[in-house]
Amino acid sequence: MLRMDTTKRTTLLGSAAVLLGLACSAGSALALDGELVMINWLGGAQGEMMEKLQEDFEAKNPGVEIRNVIPQASGDARGGIRAVLMGGEQADLLINTWPAFRAELIEAGMILPLDASYESNGWGEKLGESWQALSTVGEENYGVTYTFGDRSGIWYRTDTMAKAEIDPPATYEEFLSGFGALNAAGVTPISVPAKVWAHAEWFESLLLRTAGADYMTRLASGEASWTDPEVRTALSKWQEMLQSGCCDDGNTMLALDWDISVDAALKTGDAAYVLMGMWLNTRAKQEYGETPGEDFNIVQFPAFDMGHDRESMVDAKELNMLSAVENREAAEAFMGYMLTADAAGIMAEYGLASPSTEVDPSIYDPVIQKSVNEVTSADKLQFVLGDLLPGDLGGEYRIALQRFLQDPSDETIDAVTQQLALVAQGAY
Amino acid sequence: MALAETASPDGPIGPSTARLRPAALRQLSDTQAAWLLLTPLLLFFGVSVIYPVIETIRLSFFEIRGLAPPKFDGFGNYIRLFSDANFLNSMKVTLVWALTATFFSVLIGWGLAMLCSLNPQKTLVFRVMIFAAYGVSEAVSGFMWLGIYRPDYGLLNGILEAIGLTNLTQPWLGNPSTALGSVIVAYVWTQVGLPLMTCFASIQSIPKNLFEAAYIDGAKSGSVMRHIIAPLSMPGVRVAIFINLLNSLKAFDLIFMLTGGGPVRSTETVGFFMYRESMLNFKLGYGAASTVILLIAVLVVSIPLILKRTGDAK
Repeated sequence: MLRMDTTKRTTLLGSAAVLLGLACSAGSALALDGELVMINWLGGAQGEMMEKLQEDFEAKNPGVEIRNVIPQASGDARGGIRAVLMGGEQADLLINTWPAFRAELIEAGMILPLDASYESNGWGEKLGESWQALSTVGEENYGVTYTFGDRSGIWYRTDTMAKAEIDPPATYEEFLSGFGALNAAGVTPISVPAKVWAHAEWFESLLLRTAGADYMTRLASGEASWTDPEVRTALSKWQEMLQSGCCDDGNTMLALDWDISVDAALKTGDAAYVLMGMWLNTRAKQEYGETPGEDFNIVQFPAFDMGHDRESMVDAKELNMLSAVENREAAEAFMGYMLTADAAGIMAEYGLASPSTEVDPSIYDPVIQKSVNEVTSADKLQFVLGDLLPGDLGGEYRIALQRFLQDPSDETIDAVTQQLALVAQGAY
Repeated sequence: MALAETASPDGPIGPSTARLRPAALRQLSDTQAAWLLLTPLLLFFGVSVIYPVIETIRLSFFEIRGLAPPKFDGFGNYIRLFSDANFLNSMKVTLVWALTATFFSVLIGWGLAMLCSLNPQKTLVFRVMIFAAYGVSEAVSGFMWLGIYRPDYGLLNGILEAIGLTNLTQPWLGNPSTALGSVIVAYVWTQVGLPLMTCFASIQSIPKNLFEAAYIDGAKSGSVMRHIIAPLSMPGVRVAIFINLLNSLKAFDLIFMLTGGGPVRSTETVGFFMYRESMLNFKLGYGAASTVILLIAVLVVSIPLILKRTGDAK
């Protein structure tokens, strides 16, 4: 009897342990709970979009409550994010858009590799290899890219083209020859906002077309020099554009912030082209009340026939998991949610594109569809150069290009490239 | 009389106020009571001012790049600062900025105060309006001045065009030769209210019999202003110079809003250099070293003036 009791007890205890284990594992797979803390620096329309995404995620996971840690920053948010991290704030996720910052976080041991999470959650099936490569450092993947922008797309108003009786340019020659017609129609061909950062977009697009993505990657990592002929060629092309009457005078460009330029190109039609991120789509739709594809559109940066015309420059936003993560399950669930069709639908409402393969492109407006097609069919993708450069080189780079715009002479090209090479020596 | 009779022997400020204190404090001398009352303030001052200053000085001896661990670097940051052309440029810009902005804001404020003193009643609204600009946040002022200076539809260029001076229109904030002057004009606009008020208060304290005597002797308003109001309002002018100079050394918001230190660093003060190095280039130690230099500059300006103004106080 005693022996029977012992056996029974052992069996019962074993069964109970198995059941408890099953219950626990089922519970963690089905019901997430707790607080999910996110370092969220997004503002404006993108901030609103993130709020909607979080609300949708919370509605789907009622046990999870998202708390945003908002860094105090104006302009470049990295300073504020550093202050938050160095101040010891606990958070699970970080929104990041700067590859150079990702590298810094990895070096400081502040974010975790996500390869195992990719494997267990099947994220690799939803994100193409080129997107995974963007967030991979060395052999490990540290991010989940949830949105991207086509930075090689030049934005214009359709009626401005009609006014100047030209078509959006497909080649560099067409681009240059169109400047005369635009100027004759009283339109500044290109509005270059050089007050802070946006002027660098033109240099980077020229460098991409003339030297290619591989060279830009080497330049960003310090393996190539700023005094290389490739950099000179790109600046010479810009010099040629300036001499062809592409832009305002240097001082006017230096006085323009990005919003004034965007207004000039997409609202008032005082300028024809502007080169910037996908958020212009949101601005044109929501603030100017314009219809994508009808009132405004994009055209890929013209072909230069130098072997790099099928390469595209992109920006992207990703989620990184912080080493201090406390609610890993919820963090992974949110990362996975951002690759769903539901999340992409919310992003599309705000004029942004998702890289997820789960998304039916028909949800996008014609302008996003066009940019998504361009990016997905590109031979190579290149991240925005300015965001790849280490801190002080990134700052000096934009100031050096301002100096070039003030006086786009051969002497300035020499001075600017030498100055950047000098700063680069101490930056890596 | 009653107060004098209860005066504490170590009371430093005249008749003791011991009988006015709560019962628990009556056992304390004036000195002890003063320390007790000052302690919360001193603690707050220590935590919010002294500690950050000490921490900034400590950081300035480290090489810190972003999130990487700090490395002790001795005076390395200071040595590099004084061979950094960008820092030397920012010192030059700061000097021009601080002296010019202080000179014009005090001069205009003083002039307006003298004019207002001729008829204080009728100029009340005007004085309040001018002083209100001093209370407006620099970020808000910056936004307003951006609208005035913008190159396409800016108010200033619009006015110049309307009066036929089209050849004078230009991108005020994009031209390195006009950017600093343009930001100084905007800054003076925000700062002129304080000199107006301090000088006006100083003028109000001039004995009325001096004016009466001057007018009886046949002095005109201009003479009264030159020979009585101007010299006797100097205490207010000195206070205004002191405060405006300190404010201008610390100025940041308006520069950030209008030019971001550009174009090509032409409006980059030491304060902005500090921000760029610390928050944009992520070199906290280097930025801290420039902060210490700025702090020393502020102390060099302020300590002699404070000593002069308060050293002989009874």
